[in-house]
Amino acid sequence: MSAPAASIKGRAFGDHLLLALVLLLSIVMIAPVLWVIGLSLKDNAELMADPNSVFHAPYTLKNYINTVGTSSVFIWVRNSIIVSGGLTLGTLILSSLAGYGFARLNFPGRDVLFVIVLFGLAVPEQAVLVARHQIFSMLKFHNTFQGLILPGLSAPFGVFLMTQYFKAIPKELDEAAMLDNASRLRIFWKVLLPLTLPAQATLGIFTFLGAWNDYFWPLISATRKDMFTLTVGMASTQTNFAQSEGIGFLMAQAVFAGAPILIVYLFFQKYIVTAVSGAAVR
Amino acid sequence: MKLKKMLFAAVSAGAMMLANPSFAATELSVQRFFGACDADFGTNTDPTKAVGECGIITSLINKFNADNPDVHVNVTTVEWPGYDQLTAQFASGDAPDIVTIHESVLSDYQSKGLLMPLDDLLKSVGVTPDAFTDAARNGATKDSKIYGLPIDSWTMLYHVNMDLFKQAGLVSADGTPIFPKSPEELLAQAEQFKQKTGKPYFVQNLTNETALYTRNLYTYLFQQDSDFFADPKHVKLNTPEAKKVVEMYKAIFEKGYTTKDLDYGGSINAFLAGEGGVHLNGTWVVGDYNAQSETKGTALNKGGYAVYPYPQLFGGTHAQYADGHTWAVSQKDRTPEQIAAIGKFLKFFADNDFEWSRTGHLPAYKAVITSDAFKALPHRNTISAVADLGKPLPSAVQRQFAIQDIIGEEMSAAISGQKDVDTALADMESRVNELLANI
Repeated sequence: MSAPAASIKGRAFGDHLLLALVLLLSIVMIAPVLWVIGLSLKDNAELMADPNSVFHAPYTLKNYINTVGTSSVFIWVRNSIIVSGGLTLGTLILSSLAGYGFARLNFPGRDVLFVIVLFGLAVPEQAVLVARHQIFSMLKFHNTFQGLILPGLSAPFGVFLMTQYFKAIPKELDEAAMLDNASRLRIFWKVLLPLTLPAQATLGIFTFLGAWNDYFWPLISATRKDMFTLTVGMASTQTNFAQSEGIGFLMAQAVFAGAPILIVYLFFQKYIVTAVSGAAVR
Repeated sequence: MKLKKMLFAAVSAGAMMLANPSFAATELSVQRFFGACDADFGTNTDPTKAVGECGIITSLINKFNADNPDVHVNVTTVEWPGYDQLTAQFASGDAPDIVTIHESVLSDYQSKGLLMPLDDLLKSVGVTPDAFTDAARNGATKDSKIYGLPIDSWTMLYHVNMDLFKQAGLVSADGTPIFPKSPEELLAQAEQFKQKTGKPYFVQNLTNETALYTRNLYTYLFQQDSDFFADPKHVKLNTPEAKKVVEMYKAIFEKGYTTKDLDYGGSINAFLAGEGGVHLNGTWVVGDYNAQSETKGTALNKGGYAVYPYPQLFGGTHAQYADGHTWAVSQKDRTPEQIAAIGKFLKFFADNDFEWSRTGHLPAYKAVITSDAFKALPHRNTISAVADLGKPLPSAVQRQFAIQDIIGEEMSAAISGQKDVDTALADMESRVNELLANI
């Protein structure tokens, strides 16, 4: 056998191995999702008696009907969209402006301020929870959208990410724009911001996912049923022994709560992959 | 002419609004766990047609709203147990009027003056504490006052697979299961069971679990008359009595007399699949297990299902740990109409305790527990003794849910061999006392 032929054969074998590995990993990743969907289509009592009943008929949509039949569920979806969307938009605006400022502007105390922002990364939410709750009580912010959105706008990671991204863009671009008499705001808006789209996408996606899945702050701030987010609302509908007596319902809730994220993924797949791979490279 | 018409329209609209009874209804905010089941019972006002905790409580509140047009109850359901939310609501001055609280948790809020004593209000609507069962009255009383309307008592029980018990030769001539009377007898019967059936005596959820361990310990400390909370701010758990209990469960674990590596859901599936003789679980599964035993082809249908309180294994008072659910009322300024509406709501639940007892929980009222209707419910004849045997921790002990987690973690470590028993008991005691010292 000639050397090139062996090389091709070797490469083909390697490709096949890689493909098999990817397929195996895909199955590992998709299996829990299929398991959840399967459980969601089974009657609770049947699952309680025999968890293996998921592998055979009868199947039912009753759990989904019960999920959607909960009177406030669409209000909770709306609340989650408002909170996640508002938080994402606010974080992108603030982080971009702050990142630009730290990367491009010289002002007294800039470095100290940046270090203070970075310290924010080391402060866990639990450490400020009581104080924040008290302040929001005084301001009457509980059970309001601002009460759910404002805490997340303090995003040191976002500021750090955008600062680093702006720093990586050559300053010559700013200087060229300045020679054309562009203002700072115009340079930021027209020249630099479009170049940071991958970072914006990364930050936006992670912020949106974090806000959508957030549970603890909404749990203690939104205590009125009409202000629940989807996570808190869904949890409130579970019975005490949902993990044994209501497993089908629980799984239908998981599918229902995860569906919007899946839809977002389907529409923004290209940007998300770019963002995540960009974040990984970075 | 036009002005006349407008005036007439305005007066008519006003009259219609006043004529609508809901316009003048007193609003009450009620917060509860037990889940939501609007799709099945959202409009049902007949509690007799409802099943399960969620179905029955939803239907009861619907009926209350239907029967009392002068009061309107707005319900918020929260994820069990809902105390993070409730604490936050109290902190922000936005607590609900009426809220479900476990008897074991009442003192956390009562000690801070957040709950309203209910003695006078209950008396005004004709509900007196002497109507409560001993377990319910003890659980709802803090500092000699009633701080929650008890609606049930619940406890852990011996759920028995009678087919496997027969195979093991642990059924007496009258058809009742034979239970041990001492730790030694328990281990001997468990060995006999394992030999005859090839299966473990116990089905237990020992994974992701703290409550089961702790409730078992409390029960067998009570049965040794151990006054481990003589001082409600200082626990004594590094004692010979506690050591006996932990060593007994350690032996059960090591000799394979129990299932291992099962979480709560898994333990239910295992018991229903006939994987063990006795499932240690609460009052709330009696209905489900009974239904299984009536379904042909199931493991429980084979030889039957029985359920009993924990057997007396030690020489002290016959007792077992029990807790209960209550309706508590937040402390705040209210109009006489609001207080009267709350009284109506509590009275309604006191009057309808039988419906709630169909969940499997034991009634909180003597009249219900001794009624023919209650006795006619499946297995209530064997478990109703819990109303007398049931014993909570002393009412002044705070942070009982947090204490439960600490004790459960340390017991789990001792039983599974991660720590030796003495170290686990010492750690258990010091951790609980540290918690209580910082309240």
